[in-house]
Amino acid sequence: MATALLVPVLALAAPAALQLDGVPPSWAVLWLLPWALADGPLSGAAAGLALALVLDGLHPGPLSQAPALGLLGWWWGRLGRQAPLIQRSFNLGLLALLGAAALGASLWLQQIWQGVGTAAALHTLLAQTLITALLAPMLCSLQLLLWRRLSPGNRGRTLQADR
Amino acid sequence: MAWPWLALLAVFGAVRLSKGAAVIDAYALLSRPFWPGTAQSDWLRSAQDLDRQVRLQQLEADNRRLRGLLELDRAAGSAVRGAPVISRQAGGWWQQLVIGRGALQGVRSGDAVLAPGGLLGRVASVTPTTATVLLLTDSSSRIGVWVGRVRHHGLLVGVGTSRPVLRFIERDVGARPGDLVTTSPASTLLPPNLTIGVIQRVNEQAVPAPEAVVQLSAPVHAVDWVQVRRP
Repeated sequence: MATALLVPVLALAAPAALQLDGVPPSWAVLWLLPWALADGPLSGAAAGLALALVLDGLHPGPLSQAPALGLLGWWWGRLGRQAPLIQRSFNLGLLALLGAAALGASLWLQQIWQGVGTAAALHTLLAQTLITALLAPMLCSLQLLLWRRLSPGNRGRTLQADR
Repeated sequence: MAWPWLALLAVFGAVRLSKGAAVIDAYALLSRPFWPGTAQSDWLRSAQDLDRQVRLQQLEADNRRLRGLLELDRAAGSAVRGAPVISRQAGGWWQQLVIGRGALQGVRSGDAVLAPGGLLGRVASVTPTTATVLLLTDSSSRIGVWVGRVRHHGLLVGVGTSRPVLRFIERDVGARPGDLVTTSPASTLLPPNLTIGVIQRVNEQAVPAPEAVVQLSAPVHAVDWVQVRRP
């Protein structure tokens, strides 16, 4: 759980090497995906909401990531429990792609709702989705591995035993 | 016996008729090593720079004095603080800087933040030791600006790209690409007469009033230190 502290730190530091056309990846999605997969829907939704509250506090303006991250955490938690174990990096990349696109779409919708939506948001959405999906296979599979190893008795492992 | 003298006279006549072309060309060829070089233009340019700097200082002092007479300047206002940039998010959903000076150092919400080149944005929120700066490019940024050449006000609206849009208030403004955009000379929310940028493109057909795309003059990707100035 302490690794979640890395998300606001990375969002603030915005390392220039990990940006696509000046747009940073969504660090919240990259952390939340393996956490929710390993820990279930309730924990995923709670972690997503908590993370979104912290990140919203760091940004000025009325946009909020909370609804999208909460729903994504819940959805990924259900996936991690029901579906066959997701550990292929391609699947992780695909889930991160969908998650980042959904997050971007929710932010864009909020902008349009507030009357400040512009075409530049599409560029941000596409760039962020792409860079997040590119980083996900590397980072998420490492985190998934770490959390499964740290808590051998967790749900992921029982699921594996059931099958 | 007279024809050599006649030939010499003919040569002088030719020189006269050609306006001394051969003579002057020969002189140019001989004096080439002593022509003024580039060093001289450098001296002149540095002298000109010095002259301009001195004139700028005098004009600024004069301007301050006149503003003081008009009571446009409030006494507490002119404090300037340097602040390091500790987080830069110029792309993505939010366009903001975090600077390493906060409420303890006297930074307050609404202060203007300047970089070499002009205005960057305004302080949106402060913590005890940091302040978050909303850049002019952020889609929630809106400030009133002034186009000096055509003497018209406008609203500078961020659109999420690196070039904000200037929305004029009146219809016939006559702004052209190349016009300088500054904060209003009578502004009280922001320090007056700060450089913001240059108009790059004007859309006269926009409704209800013309719009212009503004290239900002302060390079947000290159600044490490900014100035915080209270209006």
